Amino acid sequence: MLEVIDLSAGYEGGDVVNQIDFHVDEGEAVMIIGSNGAGKTTLFRSLIGLHRLSSGKVLFEGEDIASMPAQRIVRLGISFVPAERHLFPRMSVQENLVLGAYPKRPDTETIELVMALFPRLAERRRQHAGTMSGGEQQMLAVGRALMAKPRLIVLDEPTTGLAPKLAAEAYEALGVLRQRGLTILVAEQQVPLAMQLSDRGYVIENGAIRMEGTSAELAQNPEVRHAYLGVV
Amino acid sequence: MTANILDGIVLGLQFGLLAAGLTLVYGLGGVLNLAYGQMAVVSAMVVLFSMDADVPALPAIGLGVLAGGLSGLILDLTVLRPVYRLWGEARVLLSLLLTLGVAFVVDGFLNWQYPQAGLTLRIGGGPVEILGVPMRAGSLVASAVTLLAMAALLVFFRATTLGRAVRSVIEDQEGARLVGIDPHRMLRLILILSGVLAALVAVTRSMVAPVTVTAGFGLTVNALIVTVVGGLGSVPGALLAGILLGIINTIAASYIGTFLSLIILLTAAALTILIRPSGLLGVSE
Repeated sequence: MLEVIDLSAGYEGGDVVNQIDFHVDEGEAVMIIGSNGAGKTTLFRSLIGLHRLSSGKVLFEGEDIASMPAQRIVRLGISFVPAERHLFPRMSVQENLVLGAYPKRPDTETIELVMALFPRLAERRRQHAGTMSGGEQQMLAVGRALMAKPRLIVLDEPTTGLAPKLAAEAYEALGVLRQRGLTILVAEQQVPLAMQLSDRGYVIENGAIRMEGTSAELAQNPEVRHAYLGVV
Repeated sequence: MTANILDGIVLGLQFGLLAAGLTLVYGLGGVLNLAYGQMAVVSAMVVLFSMDADVPALPAIGLGVLAGGLSGLILDLTVLRPVYRLWGEARVLLSLLLTLGVAFVVDGFLNWQYPQAGLTLRIGGGPVEILGVPMRAGSLVASAVTLLAMAALLVFFRATTLGRAVRSVIEDQEGARLVGIDPHRMLRLILILSGVLAALVAVTRSMVAPVTVTAGFGLTVNALIVTVVGGLGSVPGALLAGILLGIINTIAASYIGTFLSLIILLTAAALTILIRPSGLLGVSE
């Protein structure tokens, strides 16, 4: 479904991620794990069209989307949930969701799916997004992304700023989406949560892929256990 | 006093509508359009010349509004192109310099070719008494048109998908892109809309007082003051500040003198910035 080939990207001082290769198949949940500053965010921002690639290809269902702006990529069926969420703070929950379906009118089925997934949003329909708690904002960010009816949802550290209980809840919701057949790509520092959700994973260090494997394989790998699962 | 306040509201409504166009373009794209007043003057001249060529008043006004919208589109397609490659302060600064250049060129050309031109639209009918004050029909029609335009503007932003899309870019440009909204297309749309607003202000203003070829810079300065007081990027703020400053302006002109009204307006703006840097309804970052 998504194939990233030889992707390099960075800033004026030089590339932050180098020659990244990975793929996500339809129906899979794939995690990209790595510590802070490993290059996860730059990688995601460049494949989603918010950041220019230095070189490489991003194929979505065979089509190269590497030079497309984010506003076009979302229409192809990839929704991105950034770690900073980028909600519309002075608009209501309802308005944020409606805009998620832009330029179409949102259909009731999708709104109901989002409300069923996050009942808190239904309670706070008229509240301004900027006045909600971090956990609620995260729900809204995922909800808004779902309004575009994506086939692939890409999440950058969805647990950022969330208490452990809320982080676990966020991953429960992602589990439900997975069961419904949505393909998921997630970058995460809280590796245990991501591991329960995903089929496969890649470990990114200093801007390059260092390891890959099924989640079960990675969970058994001594280096991964030591660096990301807190096992000495 | 009542007469002054009523006259102030008439003027203030126009201030507000004028500033709404300027504040939207700034809030949406970080573009400060100093040729804004000239857009209004060009529209007024199109109405004037159309009527001189025996076009009836309403179609002539239509042509003027069209010219206003077109001038916004032309700015977007020409002088603002290099501006769009910059971000932040550099973007504001370059837009300010380039549109100031456009303002001088347009102003110079119009003053050279048509030094005496001025648009005055006469509205028939005698004065109507409101709160014991006889108000001229022109003032009332002008205010009705302005209020209607404001209502349309607010409905557009609150209740239409396109209007919400424009607001979303003002609130969070990256968030807007992530839901599939192209910020540049929204900015182009708003530049056209600001031209239409400038034209409407020129037309309604000419029902109260002549809009001359030299009016451009004065209109821009007024719009800037109202924008700053109302809060950059806030349409309701611009409308509220417009009415307040319109009343202050009229009262100052009546009790102190017209020559001081601009100074008093600027003082009011300076005080607002001191007390509330983000403006009346602006949001502090």
